[in-house]
Amino acid sequence: MKAENINPFLLSVHEVFETMLDCPVETGQIGATEKKQGPTGIIGLIGLSGDGKGIVAIKMPPTTALALVGKMIGEKLRSVDASVVDGIGEVVNIIAGVAKAKFTNLSLSLSLPTVVRGDICKLSSQFDESWVEIPFSSELGEFSLAVGFCVATENEKEKKHASTCSR
Amino acid sequence: MQVLVVDDSQIMRRIIVSWLKKAGVGNVLEAADGSEAVEQVSSNPDIKLVLMDWNMPNMTGLEALTQIRSSGHKVPIVMVTTESEKERVMEAIKAGANDYLAKPFDPKTIKTKLQKYLTG
Repeated sequence: MKAENINPFLLSVHEVFETMLDCPVETGQIGATEKKQGPTGIIGLIGLSGDGKGIVAIKMPPTTALALVGKMIGEKLRSVDASVVDGIGEVVNIIAGVAKAKFTNLSLSLSLPTVVRGDICKLSSQFDESWVEIPFSSELGEFSLAVGFCVATENEKEKKHASTCSR
Repeated sequence: MQVLVVDDSQIMRRIIVSWLKKAGVGNVLEAADGSEAVEQVSSNPDIKLVLMDWNMPNMTGLEALTQIRSSGHKVPIVMVTTESEKERVMEAIKAGANDYLAKPFDPKTIKTKLQKYLTG
């Protein structure tokens, strides 16, 4: 994946964590071997469409999820419940939204976020060639951001525009 | 004064309520979608400020804003959203929003941005 396509997501993670959580993060090695979260891992997913298409997923162990959402609401959380799931969905929504705004030359839309429990070995074969996983570490714990994203070609954008105009 | 927080995410409502309380606003009402927000504003004249999310089920923030304004309510409404593009901001202002707060924001930003409405 081109750096210009991954950088908005990288910057977005830093911005969201530092602004909303007052928590600096350190970026690990991009494309490092995927660390399994195990059956209790938590994954927040959101889809992108429009001039680009893809999926953004934030993956973390329950301890990080509890610390992250607990920091957001200023409470100590002990178990992964509906609030934690809601919080992770909100985090991936905000990260994707901030990244989306950085793609100033693309018109993108976000899906509603989804949160799943467990581990995903491969999110989508559609993005085999443009799939990147970035590990992060922070005082709240470790997590990773997985991004599968490709920009529509000029041809695809023209076809889409023509299809919209002909309706 | 009463502040109404409108967001379909319970966790986002909890965050904003928590930050409003830190900013000295103790009387905070909540709504989970646009239609609840319209109902609350119509039945509660003590609401002095509305913080409205954009994307919500049943009725979006923009639809709720439009309905509130067409009913003649002049309560200050601040749109809260991840959608930070200029077009969406202009759309909200044209529909009658007073201001715009883009996520992510921190407690200091929310306090500074809302100061004029909280002390008015």
